[in-house]
Amino acid sequence: MLLSELFLPVLMVMFMLTVGAYVVAVLDRLIAGAFGAPQAGRVWLAPMARGAWLMTQHANATEAPDWQAWRLAPALYLALAAIGLAVVPWSESLVATDLVTSVVLWGSVEALATVVIFLHGWSANALLALIGGYRYVALGLSYILISMFVLIGVALPAESLQFTQVVASQEALWNVIRQPLGLPLFLIVGLGMTFWGPLNLADSKDLAGGTASEISGPPRLVWDVARAAMLVAFSGVAASAFLGGWMGPWLPGPLWMAIKMLAVLLVLLLLGRVLPRIAPERCVTLMWVVLLPLSFIDLVWAGIGALL
Amino acid sequence: MELLTLLIVLLLSLGAGLLVQWLPMRHQPIATYPQRAPFLGGGTPDSHAWSRYHVRYYPMTLLLIAFEMEMMFMYPWAVVFVEKGMMAVMEMGMFLAILSVGIVYAWREGVFKWQ
Repeated sequence: MLLSELFLPVLMVMFMLTVGAYVVAVLDRLIAGAFGAPQAGRVWLAPMARGAWLMTQHANATEAPDWQAWRLAPALYLALAAIGLAVVPWSESLVATDLVTSVVLWGSVEALATVVIFLHGWSANALLALIGGYRYVALGLSYILISMFVLIGVALPAESLQFTQVVASQEALWNVIRQPLGLPLFLIVGLGMTFWGPLNLADSKDLAGGTASEISGPPRLVWDVARAAMLVAFSGVAASAFLGGWMGPWLPGPLWMAIKMLAVLLVLLLLGRVLPRIAPERCVTLMWVVLLPLSFIDLVWAGIGALL
Repeated sequence: MELLTLLIVLLLSLGAGLLVQWLPMRHQPIATYPQRAPFLGGGTPDSHAWSRYHVRYYPMTLLLIAFEMEMMFMYPWAVVFVEKGMMAVMEMGMFLAILSVGIVYAWREGVFKWQ
């Protein structure tokens, strides 16, 4: 009992954390290669080579950083990604932690991500990192409402805040068709949460790397892995909330889940490569005035759909 | 049991994140102070970065608190929504409408402009 209820779930999450981050790194390199970016070495080995290189590099330091917070922030972000992965259901029974309130837990992961990313920018005690942190807070506080409304929308037909129930409620029709506004809005949230591509305001190039501008070596490795793992956790949540999770013909459930997660990852990474970064001063207006009312509409749509 | 699993996942991943940083770095000498100057595009810092700073989007964060409180009601509401039917729709509709007036007012006041 201890083995099946404690050891195996933990092992599953840890496995997903490492394999997921590796898959993101490979996919991103493949997409970059398809767009003509020069590749150094093999795509499959390059992430591991970079990881090993970062491990041996000297870690940078600033004059008076908040040491504890500076080392803790990447690890905390990784822990948040792990918790997100723990609530993703792979089949009816194959879930690391099948909490009754897993949607709420994911919501808290999103909220705490803002705190952790700000902590990372703040603790370096450097101007550019701090600006990245402040920018991220503006973005994080703007997208969180959109995410919450969209997720409440998928909880309505399920009559539950449990991801396994949310998936089970999509037996007849997936939420991506039933609530057409949901997935596009949620994908924007995903890009925001991992500050990826067009919503990379925290670690952007115009801030010389933003919150990550002062880190090198092992801390940077943890930070990069945590970001990639968070993207995987997000794609798992998106696949189970909108794409019917483990459901599908012929193939076994976990395999369908993996295919759907890969599809979401591919779309996110492609968007990250294709779209330009939006201006930070515009993103707050865009989120509150355009996207938030759209998420209201999504919620009303979901509510009417659930009652009919 | 599920919460215990979650706690172990949290502790293990946090520990792994710290270990990957600590193990390679424990024998590294710390850089000298000239090397540790924060990157400012070639300039030298006159003060801590943690000096007082006016966050221009501050009113937006206050507006968020109103909505975050609303989310607290919305989670249980989502579970009983189908059971309560139209009553739940009207109640949350009214609540959201009142909050939306707040957004429109904040928009007019330029809260989302961030300048």
